[in-house]
Amino acid sequence: MALIDLVTPEVIKIPLVSKDKPDVLRELVQVLKDAGLIEDYDAVLQAVQDREDKQSTGLEQGIAVPHGKTSAVSTLRFALGIAPEGIDFNSLDGQPTKLFFLLVAAPNQSGPHVEALADVAKLARSTAVCRALINAESAEEVADLLKGD
Amino acid sequence: MGKPIQRIMVYIDGTESSVTAAQYAICLAASSGAELIACYIINTRAVEDLLRAKIFLRDEQLEYQHDMEADAERYLKYVGELAAKKGVSIIKQRGKGSVHKEIADAVEEHEVDLLVIGELSRIRSRRDEFYDEAERAMRTVPCSVLIVKDDDRVWQLYESLG
Repeated sequence: MALIDLVTPEVIKIPLVSKDKPDVLRELVQVLKDAGLIEDYDAVLQAVQDREDKQSTGLEQGIAVPHGKTSAVSTLRFALGIAPEGIDFNSLDGQPTKLFFLLVAAPNQSGPHVEALADVAKLARSTAVCRALINAESAEEVADLLKGD
Repeated sequence: MGKPIQRIMVYIDGTESSVTAAQYAICLAASSGAELIACYIINTRAVEDLLRAKIFLRDEQLEYQHDMEADAERYLKYVGELAAKKGVSIIKQRGKGSVHKEIADAVEEHEVDLLVIGELSRIRSRRDEFYDEAERAMRTVPCSVLIVKDDDRVWQLYESLG
């Protein structure tokens, strides 16, 4: 399953209401729960938190890619949260994070998980796309931007 | 003139659609007498990109690569079982690297006439960042390509094989 297949307005939250890192992770997992894509909220959050505890997934240029593996999901799950004002996510460059790409996969789906993460990495290299995502006004607009419409 | 299809290769990537493709390839091999190869490529190129992008840590790179190798073994074994159930012999091939490039190399190495792949993403993004490795392989391999759709029909076809 390609990342693009996972992009729907239901998994996009703009703007995020959280103000700190723990709340952002909870809010992103809640997006998946509210979209009916996960049942075990706690297990998914724990998987993402476990990875975050090793090292922050906040990268440079205002982007974070929280991710994890858990048997609480049967297939790849994606959510995107956007915080135009930026949130302290303990990023590598010390700057506030505005785009949060969450990816959670089952342990036996490493291949699709890696390919989806690689798609996010490529997207993150496009400053213009990231800027457009941050300035979007709705989840529908964000979905259209990601699909290139 | 020889048979139009003498050697079929089916690309397996752990997705349900690739398993459906394998079932269809088994049906094709059974009916045409063509040799069948199942190919799984471990996308180490993507893992290296993720390490470079600092999305992966070093131990994550090793962990995911190990998992992907285990997935390759598991799915190739499963496809082998699917073929054996229908009396079709299958060669299992594993590779690692850049997926579309390794598929193209395997097609050339084995002189494959037909590459069989699972259904591609139904959404065609115009974003260059979102490209499907199987789709890229479809565009670059030197042989004909068959994209398998309609899971239910393929399952019935497979089940009805002697």
